[in-house]
Amino acid sequence: MSIEMEPAQCWTDVADVMAAGVRRVLLYGPPGTGKTFAALKLGLTQGVSERLVCTEDLTTGEITGTWMPAGAGKWEWREGPAIRAWRANGGRGGRLVVDEVDRASGDALSTLLAITDSPESARWRNPETGQWVKPGPDFSVVMTTNLEDLEDIPPALRDRFPVALRIDRPHPHAVSGLSEDLKGPALLGSLGEVERRVSLRRFYAFDQLRTHLGAERAARLLFGESEGQAMLDALAIGSLE
Amino acid sequence: MSPRVFPELVYGRRDGFEQGRWTVESGEARRGGASCNLSDRCLRVPQDDDVVARVVRAHELMHIRVSPHRREHVPDEGLPERALECAEEFRVNRLLSLLGFDTGLLCDGSEKLGARRLAESGNWPEAVCFFLAVIGTGAEPEFLRGLRAAQPSWGAALRALKKAVLGVVDGLPVEAVGDTHVSDDGVPRGFEDVTLPVARLAARTLAAAAPSDAEGLRSIRRSLEPGGRRAPSGVFAPLVWDNEMRYVSRPRRAAHRRHRPSTTGSVMRYPSRLLSDPLCRAFGHKSPSRGGVVVIDQSGSMDVTTEDLDRLLHVAPNSLIVGYSHRPGDFGTTANAWVLAAGGRVAERSRNGNVGNGVDGPVLHWAVRRARGSEPIVWVTDGQVTDSNDHPCHSLSVECARLVRRHRIHLVRRLDEVESALRGRRGPTASFGRVGRELRELRRVSAA
Repeated sequence: MSIEMEPAQCWTDVADVMAAGVRRVLLYGPPGTGKTFAALKLGLTQGVSERLVCTEDLTTGEITGTWMPAGAGKWEWREGPAIRAWRANGGRGGRLVVDEVDRASGDALSTLLAITDSPESARWRNPETGQWVKPGPDFSVVMTTNLEDLEDIPPALRDRFPVALRIDRPHPHAVSGLSEDLKGPALLGSLGEVERRVSLRRFYAFDQLRTHLGAERAARLLFGESEGQAMLDALAIGSLE
Repeated sequence: MSPRVFPELVYGRRDGFEQGRWTVESGEARRGGASCNLSDRCLRVPQDDDVVARVVRAHELMHIRVSPHRREHVPDEGLPERALECAEEFRVNRLLSLLGFDTGLLCDGSEKLGARRLAESGNWPEAVCFFLAVIGTGAEPEFLRGLRAAQPSWGAALRALKKAVLGVVDGLPVEAVGDTHVSDDGVPRGFEDVTLPVARLAARTLAAAAPSDAEGLRSIRRSLEPGGRRAPSGVFAPLVWDNEMRYVSRPRRAAHRRHRPSTTGSVMRYPSRLLSDPLCRAFGHKSPSRGGVVVIDQSGSMDVTTEDLDRLLHVAPNSLIVGYSHRPGDFGTTANAWVLAAGGRVAERSRNGNVGNGVDGPVLHWAVRRARGSEPIVWVTDGQVTDSNDHPCHSLSVECARLVRRHRIHLVRRLDEVESALRGRRGPTASFGRVGRELRELRRVSAA
């Protein structure tokens, strides 16, 4: 059985929004659907994206930059990913991807607010040179979160991202490395309630394990006894083989 | 608690069903304790960690995989809902069996008693449907055992049904049975190739009279053969009126008047009665025609033209004229009765019959209810009465004969005889066909 490679509507929306030149996009939804992958790649015409993974311990220095020892008792200023993205592509600006934004602490969040502000308002002073830096005209930010409810995101940050798209299933390209019979289910694995979600990574692991250990043992190792059986039943019924 | 079921992972439908998040509720492994609602994506399944619960869960997942999710994917053939539902159960169980699930575990111990109760109450249609739903499962032998205890003859008929049903799926690969590609007719192929033919067989069987003897069993067996004639049902079909008919008004002329002999009056119209009539009713008394109800059996070649209707309305402007004919085996989708004229309005176009009689009794009952006062009721018929499957039936003929006798219904063979019947000129007492035979028998019994 071959699967349709038509992307789901959410992915069409992402592509259309990126193509329209919207530079502040929030992708949210269950984990394992390829939000970060899309944020890093989609709509990027040149350069590479800078990536920030938010945690409670994330500091301002990890966002904008920090002083680092340069040897011989000297210190030099090393720019963080946010400022690098501002300046990327010869000053035109690049892509900043902020993962798990809901986990950022207060300090980091306020810095992120400044960084993701509108180009007219955003500016930052380099402590080494004293020079004011502004984001390039092509600077864009894609934030991702596994939250299902955007109410949990601070209103000021939410306001900076007028376009928020819920991603509830992987992009077909993300399952291209799977065996044919797993591609379809893998596209649907993130639709269920939290306890029923099967991420893309688990599908890849299952696919790899079953070639060596057989489907039943692979399912048992990855999902446990009864859950593994339930998953195999769903796959068998889905494929009718 | 770890999930026991992954409805979202069921993939592969080709009929436009959109997968999404399912609501999973805790159900039970007993009959009726699990369900699958494709419209609301709601699944109720047992969460127990045992083999029976697992097969019940698989059964419901199979519904997610193959059962139609849109009303328009189920063609309106007039098949009973219950027959379709149980035929789909059969397909799902068959698919599970082909995939290696142990459908023998699908049994909750209630089947034997349930079957016995069905048999004792004479509920043959439900027995047929239920049996269909349990074919190939552990419930089948128990169900048959329960039936045998109360209605030994039913088991053989159901086994004949099973043979015919298995003939539909024999040799079909699992992909064909579960195929959800939509055919040119707009029906998912697996449903079209398995569920519908099985439901048709079930509908034929459940519409037949419950077999009580060898002849009844033979007729059911014959009906299940390819091209076989439906078995007798022994009952009339319910009336289904055609509400799509269009009518045109006819100029209302004065009610046809006629003279009745009377003992008083101003003009002596029948002087001869002074000599011949003991009551000497020599005067003429004008009385308007009161109309009447004309019931026309259009099962055969009886062709009713608008001219015929005009002529009848000329005689009885207030008459109500209805035609009837039932499509054998139809379950209420094809109209089997239609008003040809009423209140001086006439059907723009008459319509043809549907081959069978099927509703003689119900339409006569209806006519009796509609006749006002002593208005004549005229039944244009060949004297034959048939059941819903168009088999002549003695008990139904007797029922109609009793109606004819009790309500003094005029029997006529041809449309051109209606006029005189409406005028009240009664010829020799009509007694033709089976109804006539039963009428004679009723007269003989009452005379004795």
